[in-house]
Amino acid sequence: MSKSSYKAILIRSLLVLFVTAIALTLRWRAVQMLPVDYDEDDYLRAGQEFAQLIRTKDWSGFLETNYRTEHPPLAKILYGFSLLSVPEVPLIQDKPTTATPDQTLPKDLILIARLVGAIQGSITVFLLALVNPIGGGLLALHTFTIKYVSQVMLEALPALTGLITVMAYVQSKKEKTKFGSLTISAIFLGLTAASKYLYCLVAIAILIDWFLYSKEQNDLSRFIRHAVGWGILAIAIFFTVDPYIWPNPIGRIKESVLYHAAYSSGASEVQGANFPFWQPFVWLNMTPMSWHEGAFVVAPDLLITILAAFGIKRLWRKERVYVLWLAVAIFFLLIWPTKWPQYILTLTVPLSLAAAETISLVVKKATESWNKPRLRIVTSISLNRQAVFQSVPWLAPGLVAFALFTLFPLIFQIAISLTDFNSISIMDGLNGGVWREIWGGLTGKIKPVYPEFPFRSKEVQFTGISSYLPIFTWITTDGILVFNVIWTILSVGLQTILGVGTALLLWKKGIRFRRGWQTLFILPWAIPETIGALMWMTIFASPFGWLSLAVQDYGNNIPFAFLNGWESSPNRTLLILLIAGLWYGFPFMMLAATAGLKQLPFDVFDAAALDGADAGQIFRHVTLPLLSPLILPAIILRGIFSFNQFYLLQIFGFLHGNYAMTTLATLSYNLFNPSGFANGQFAISAALNIITVLILIGFVISFNRLSKADEGVTYA
Amino acid sequence: MRKPSITQQIFTYVALLLIALFVILPIWSISRLAFDGSLKSRPVEFRFTPKEFTVTPFLNVLDRPYQSVTFTNLLRNSMTVSFGASLGAIILGLSLAYAFAHFRFPGRKVGLFLMLLTAMLPPIAFSTPLYVVLSILKIRTTLLGLLIVYAIFAMPFCIWNMRAAFQSVPKELEEAAYLDGASNFMTFINISLPLAIPSIAISALIAFLMGYSEFAIGWLFIDKSQNVTLAMSIYSILASGAAQPWSLIGSLALIMSAPVVIIFIVLQRTLLDQLLFANAGETA
Repeated sequence: MSKSSYKAILIRSLLVLFVTAIALTLRWRAVQMLPVDYDEDDYLRAGQEFAQLIRTKDWSGFLETNYRTEHPPLAKILYGFSLLSVPEVPLIQDKPTTATPDQTLPKDLILIARLVGAIQGSITVFLLALVNPIGGGLLALHTFTIKYVSQVMLEALPALTGLITVMAYVQSKKEKTKFGSLTISAIFLGLTAASKYLYCLVAIAILIDWFLYSKEQNDLSRFIRHAVGWGILAIAIFFTVDPYIWPNPIGRIKESVLYHAAYSSGASEVQGANFPFWQPFVWLNMTPMSWHEGAFVVAPDLLITILAAFGIKRLWRKERVYVLWLAVAIFFLLIWPTKWPQYILTLTVPLSLAAAETISLVVKKATESWNKPRLRIVTSISLNRQAVFQSVPWLAPGLVAFALFTLFPLIFQIAISLTDFNSISIMDGLNGGVWREIWGGLTGKIKPVYPEFPFRSKEVQFTGISSYLPIFTWITTDGILVFNVIWTILSVGLQTILGVGTALLLWKKGIRFRRGWQTLFILPWAIPETIGALMWMTIFASPFGWLSLAVQDYGNNIPFAFLNGWESSPNRTLLILLIAGLWYGFPFMMLAATAGLKQLPFDVFDAAALDGADAGQIFRHVTLPLLSPLILPAIILRGIFSFNQFYLLQIFGFLHGNYAMTTLATLSYNLFNPSGFANGQFAISAALNIITVLILIGFVISFNRLSKADEGVTYA
Repeated sequence: MRKPSITQQIFTYVALLLIALFVILPIWSISRLAFDGSLKSRPVEFRFTPKEFTVTPFLNVLDRPYQSVTFTNLLRNSMTVSFGASLGAIILGLSLAYAFAHFRFPGRKVGLFLMLLTAMLPPIAFSTPLYVVLSILKIRTTLLGLLIVYAIFAMPFCIWNMRAAFQSVPKELEEAAYLDGASNFMTFINISLPLAIPSIAISALIAFLMGYSEFAIGWLFIDKSQNVTLAMSIYSILASGAAQPWSLIGSLALIMSAPVVIIFIVLQRTLLDQLLFANAGETA
C-alpha cells in the first residue's frame, strides 16, 4: 500500500472514532437528563425479573419469565445482566402501560439500564460510520434516535442487530464465497427478531434486493435455495435465544403477535392518540427537543429528513438495499395503525445514509466549482446601453406600483414579525410604533423582550427573532407543516390523474358531444371556490348534510356511510377535503392536458400502433413522455395554489375544528383576524407568512433546478 | 389512429358519465335545497328532490338577502370592487410585464424571481401591512380600500401571465415595425398589445374572479354592512351558525355563481381552449 492510502485510512479511522465519541457524549447526556418516560418502568421491571433469575441461577425460570410478553425477551435479558452490577431492590410495581410515567423509579437502576442502551446506540453509530462517516455523524445527532436508545426501551438492541444484518448481507454481495457473511446476517436477523419483531422489516428489504440482484445475475434458483437457508437459520437463532417460547412455541408466538394486532386496533391509548396515517412523517419533521429542555444539544432531525429526500437517488445507485430498507419501513409505518414515535428508529439508519449522500454531493459540487477556473462569459447582447435607457419609461411606473404594493408589504411583514405587534397595541402600531421599535432594536438602543404567547402588550415591543423558534416548533410538532405538504402532494396528484384521464377520454376518436362534456367538466372551475366549498358542505356537514341525513334515514348500510362522522378522524377528514379539492381543481388540469394533447403529432401514435404496441404501451411509452413536459408548468402552478389554498380549508375548518388540519395560509389568517380566536396576533401571523415564503423559495429553487420552470409557467 | 372498439366505447362513456355525476353531485345537492320551500332552517330529512318546489327563495334573495342590505347593493359592491381591482391590476401591471418581456436590463433575473415569489405568497401575507397603511389613509373600511387590496392580490399573477403573453409575440413582427420607423410605444400599441389581448383578457377575468369570490380578507377590512360584497355576505351567514333557511343560502350561492358560470361557458368556446394554453408548448 502506498503512503497516501495509509493516510486516508488513518483519517477515516479518526473520523469514525470522532463520530462515535460524539454519539457517546450526546447519549450519555441524554441518559442523565431525560425524565422517565412511558414503558421504561415496564422494561426495567422485566430486567429486574431476569436479574433475579440470574442471581439465583434459576435457569429454568427463563422458560416462564418474560414480563410484557408481547415483546420477545432478548433486549430485556440484556437489561437483566446490566442490573447485576447494582444492589437489588424490590420489583417495580406492575402498572398498566397507560399509567403516567413514575418519576420516582430507583435512580441507579434507570441509569445503568439506560447506559447499556446508550452504548448499543453508540455501537450502531460506530458501525454506520464505517459504512459512511457522514451518515454515522448524522445518526449520532438525530434527537429521536438519541432519545429512544438512551431510555429503557427495546429499540437500541434491534436497531443495532438490524444494521449488522444488512451490513453482512451487503458484504456477502462483494465476496465470492458468500457463506460466512450470509451466516452472520442470518444470525443477527434471528437476534433482531428476538428483541422486537418490528425491526425484522430489514429482512423484507434484503429479500427484495437479493431477488433483484439474482435476477440480474440470472441465478434465481440459487437465490431460492440460499434465501430459504438464510431464513431457516434466522428462525433457528430466534428460537434459540428466546427461551420463553420453548415450552409452547406456536402458542406463545401467536399470543405475542396477535397482541400487536389487537393493540393497534383496540387499545385505548392508540385510539386516544388518534394519529393520522401520515404521523410517521410528523415524527420525522419534528424533534423531541421541546419535550425535554436541555437534554439535547442540537436538533437536526428535519434537516436530515429533507437532505435524505434529495439523496435517495444517489444512494440507490450506490447500494440499493438501504433505499429498500427505508421504503419498506416507511410503507409499513404508514399503514400500521399504531404509530408511536419510537418506531421511526427502524428507519433512521438508512435515513441518515441518504442524507449523507446529499451532503457529499453538495460538498463535491462546491469543491468542483471552487477549483474550476472561473470563465466569465461575456454576452454581446447583454446590457446594451440604449436598450437599458429605453426600458426605463416602461419599468418606472410598474416598478413604483410593484415596490409600493408588493415589496413594501413583504418588508413590513418582516418588521412586524420582529415585534410583538397585536390587536391591543394597534394604536401604537398605526402611529409608527413598529418602525420605532425596529429602528431601536436594530441599532441596539432597545433590548429585545421575550413576552409570553399570546402577545397582549399595549405598546409595540421589539422581540427580535425570538418568536420564530417557538412558532416553527409549533407547526412541526403539531404536524401542521406535514399536513400542508401531504395535502399539496395528494391533492395535486389526484387532480392531475383525473384531469389527464378526462382529457384522454375526450381525446379519443368518435366521442359524441365532446364540447358538451367539456363544458360540463369545466363548471367546477367556473364556480367560485367559496361556493364550491359551500356545495360540498351541504353534502358532508353533520348533522344536516346529505350524507348524514341518508345515514339517519336509511341506516349504516348505504354506500359511503363509512364517511359519516369524518370529523372525528384525521384520515377521513383528509379524504373529504381531497374529494372537494379534486372537484374544484381537476378541470384546470383537464384543460392543460387537452391543450397539451392537441400539440402531440398524430403520426407518432400511428407508427406505434403499426409496430403492434397495445393501448397501454402507447400510453406509457409515447403519450406520457410527450405530454408530461407540457403539463409540468400546470402541475407546479397547481402545487403552489394548493400549498396556499384557503377558502376550502377555512370553510371546512368550521366543520371539523381541527386547526392542525389546515394550510399555513389559513392558520395565518385566523391568527391575524382581530375578531377570531387569537384576537389579532399580527406578529405571529407575520412570522408564519415569512416562514411560508421561505418554504416557497426553497420550492422554487429546487424546482427551477429540475425543470427551468420559471420560464415555463405561462398560463393560469 | 384506429377507431376504438365497442367495449372501449362503452367503457369511455361509462367513465365520462361517472365523472359527470361527480361534477353534478354537489351542484345538485345545493340546488335541491335552494328550490325547497319547506325548509325553515336546516334540512332534516334525506331527499333527492325538493319537497315543495318553489322559486320564492330566489325572489327573497333578490329582495333582501343579508341584514338590511338589498341584493342590488351587494351586487354593486361586488362588481365595483372586483371590476375595479381587475382593471387596476392590469393597468398597473401592463408596462412592467412588457418591460420584462421585451427589454434586457440589469437586475432582470432578480426582478423575475421576486415577481414569481410574490405571485406565490398567500394573500394573507399582504394583509397586515395593508391593514396598517389603509388605516393610516383612513380608507380601510371603504370599498376603495377593498378595491386596492384586491388589485394588489391580483397584480403579481397578472404581471406574470401578461409577461408570458408578450413573450410569445413573434420577435420578427416587432422588429419589422421598429425598422419601419415605429417608436417603441407605437410598436407596443399596434403590434404587441393587440396580439396579447386574449391573454390580458384571461388575466383580467381571473383577477375579477379573485375579487368576486374573496370573503376572508374582506371581513378583516370592512365593518359596515353597506360595504359588504356578495361573497362576504354568504360567509357571514355561514359563520353566524346558519340560522337562515338553507333554501336562502342555496339560492344566494346559485345566483352568485350564475354570472361567472355564464361568462366561462361563453368564453370556453372562444378563448379558453384555443388561447389559454396555446403557447404552453413553446415556452415549457
